[in-house]
Amino acid sequence: MPLCLGSITLSDDILPMNEALHSIAYKDSQGFITGHFTAMAGPCEVIIETSDQALADKVTKTVADEAWRIESTFSRYRTDNIIYRINNANGEAVEVDAETARLLDFADLCFQVSDGMFDITSGVLGKLWKFDGSSNIPAQSEIDKLLPKIGWDQVSWSNPKLQIPAGMALDFGGIGKEYAVDSAATLARAITDCPVLINFGGDIVATSAPISRQHWLIGIEPLALGQNKVPPKVALKHGGVATSGDSKRFLLHQGNVLSHVLNPKTGWPVADAPASVTVLASNCTQAGMLSTLAMLQGKDAEQFLTAQEVEHWIQRR
Amino acid sequence: MKHKSLLLLPILGFSVLSGCSTMGVNAWEKDLLAKPEMALDEQPLTDALDDHIYFSKEASSGGRAYAGGGCGCN
Amino acid sequence: MKKNLLLKSALATATMTLIAGAANAEEEQNKTAPASKEQAIGDWKFDAAFLFYSESDSRVSAIEPVFNANKRLDEDEYLNLKLTVDSLTGASPSGAVGSDQPLTFTRPSGNASYTVNANEHPLDDTFKDTRVALATNWTFPVSETTKAGLGANISKEYDYLSASVNGNISYDFNNRNSTLFAGLSYAFDSIDPVGGAPIAFGRMQPVGDPQNKLSGSQDKDTLDLLLGITQVIDRESLFQFNYSYSMSDGYHNDPYKVLSVLDDQGNYFDDGIPVANVLFESRPDERTKHGLFGRYKRFIDGDILDASYRYMTDDWEIDSHTVDLKYRFTLDNGDYWQPHVRYYTQTQADFYQPYLRQDQALPQFASADYRLAEYDAITVGLEYGMKTAAGNQWRFSLEMYNQTPTEPEKYGALQQQTLLPDWNAVMFRVNYSF
Repeated sequence: MPLCLGSITLSDDILPMNEALHSIAYKDSQGFITGHFTAMAGPCEVIIETSDQALADKVTKTVADEAWRIESTFSRYRTDNIIYRINNANGEAVEVDAETARLLDFADLCFQVSDGMFDITSGVLGKLWKFDGSSNIPAQSEIDKLLPKIGWDQVSWSNPKLQIPAGMALDFGGIGKEYAVDSAATLARAITDCPVLINFGGDIVATSAPISRQHWLIGIEPLALGQNKVPPKVALKHGGVATSGDSKRFLLHQGNVLSHVLNPKTGWPVADAPASVTVLASNCTQAGMLSTLAMLQGKDAEQFLTAQEVEHWIQRR
Repeated sequence: MKHKSLLLLPILGFSVLSGCSTMGVNAWEKDLLAKPEMALDEQPLTDALDDHIYFSKEASSGGRAYAGGGCGCN
Repeated sequence: MKKNLLLKSALATATMTLIAGAANAEEEQNKTAPASKEQAIGDWKFDAAFLFYSESDSRVSAIEPVFNANKRLDEDEYLNLKLTVDSLTGASPSGAVGSDQPLTFTRPSGNASYTVNANEHPLDDTFKDTRVALATNWTFPVSETTKAGLGANISKEYDYLSASVNGNISYDFNNRNSTLFAGLSYAFDSIDPVGGAPIAFGRMQPVGDPQNKLSGSQDKDTLDLLLGITQVIDRESLFQFNYSYSMSDGYHNDPYKVLSVLDDQGNYFDDGIPVANVLFESRPDERTKHGLFGRYKRFIDGDILDASYRYMTDDWEIDSHTVDLKYRFTLDNGDYWQPHVRYYTQTQADFYQPYLRQDQALPQFASADYRLAEYDAITVGLEYGMKTAAGNQWRFSLEMYNQTPTEPEKYGALQQQTLLPDWNAVMFRVNYSF
């Protein structure tokens, strides 16, 4: 009987954290113990192949603590973290810690290799675009006002000093959850050799292949797009799986469905973006970046991922 | 001639099949059997080389695979 | 995007640095690239093997390199290609008996002859040949529980061509604890013997004389059926039971094998022709074989036991039993030692005759081919397996095969000769999977 994790909710926002949500619930089944908790605006689970409840406790708690830590560190809704200091520095340089430095290096590389399509300064567009399924498109004049405030090339980053022009803001939403998954996995590996699968609302990593099965089996939520295909199942031995896209977040405009992936250069949603892209890679961050980059390719998503020679599943409307 | 041994066959076959339904393990207990070295066809090249040697030097063939040979060795 | 192919590795490195922190980044990068499956869709898996085979007493030697490429086309769909080259040299018993006089035989071509010394077991050393074979196989899923396969093989050597097609289907049930298998194979073999196919019981002629041989090639059709069931017994063990049926129709002779014609003293009968008095063999033109095969494999605390038994019977009156035992001792680092023992015994074909007598009527069929005689054989071997750091598998194997036939009844001068000598062979094999 394959272990199917059912449908996946997709979200790449980090919403405010509620202390009351710091609870962990456990379920024990068929040689695996699953710990459930909420973090990063969604359901999270840690599945560990063991019958040792104490070990499962330890691993899940470590993973959950890491998730909550990263959530609070990079949440845009707090006033006591590094992100607040960066986004409210008003043009002044800010000295960042080692972890933020690594994230900035990574964001910088992604900006370079994507020719500017992946840009962590593009979060400001979120103020204009609300993907609620309606036809409320922001006015072009509004978009034009924001465009000059977007562009990683305007940021001065020289480890450990970061200086962003006043009026610009950074948003790690595009990589935060995947990074959290991988970071938590590193901590889990340090505790145990037992196979562990970490799933933060659809961003997944498996530390090693399960012993009692051929592989972890992950179901990708089939978007009800009228396709006759059987929902794809990912057979994961170890590595990361991440999905970009969301059937629930879109807008309608002139008879077209606009996906929620915004092109930082135009301020508009990427044309002809797939409804969802799932990628399998060595770790969740890499998978997430590849799936995001694929979405940004619009109609060339399939070609892009084939050229990358990674396993992927693309669903289109 | 060989009638007795051939009659044995359907009897064997039937008892094997009826016994099979009671044997087996759950999917999550297949960890050891899933190891590549436990596969019955773990070494196809070696098996083929052996089959070829014995087909060439003996009068029997088959069992594990087709009994035909495909070469002029016998 | 311009840097497409560099993108993945750039990202891989970057994510490693990000996750593990600068200090651990290098260590992480040295790990082998993980994949979601052992063989991801689109990936090729290769296997190479090399066999060296050498018989005692200047008999046959062979080298056989094999190369196998397997591509995973989809979730449960594979394409397999295998190339085999088989190069043979050396001498093989011709079926003639020895004599206290030297003997002269004509080579199959009819253009040359060879001499066997007195009291030597006659071997024909014309067998230098190279064979090339290509096998392809495509396996694909039909449904959730059913898989099918289609294959084609072709094999060619100087005087022999074999082409076959096969199809099979397998069905999983009982919570995937049981698998039923059915396969069918059809082969067409064609032999164009050097010098032509001899007339049945044709008398070997001297060089220069008409050779009593037919022109044109001789064909054989073979139909094979394989039915099997594989069953999981418990967490550590499984067994397999197969029934195989084979029916072949056509030319079954070995065109190079002969029978000696002897007088009532056990010497070669002198009919005045200046080449040893031997007749080319004649076998039936039909053969039906049945086989029953059982195999048991068990995981024992890290080690593996693999035992099988096969019973074979056919309408040439050959019955055989084969018992095969392997035990793999797995070492802590994953390497293994695997001793192997195989015991084989067969009864003789009903038309097997070590020789013919001039004063007796010719039987309908006769062959003195030692491979149709009654004998036991033992194989003893040891294999060593090891994995490289990159996860590729090496195997080294050394085996010894020893055949001990039952010496047929002899009379007169024949008693000074050995009709069916014991012989053995050394087999050295190397495998590499990557």
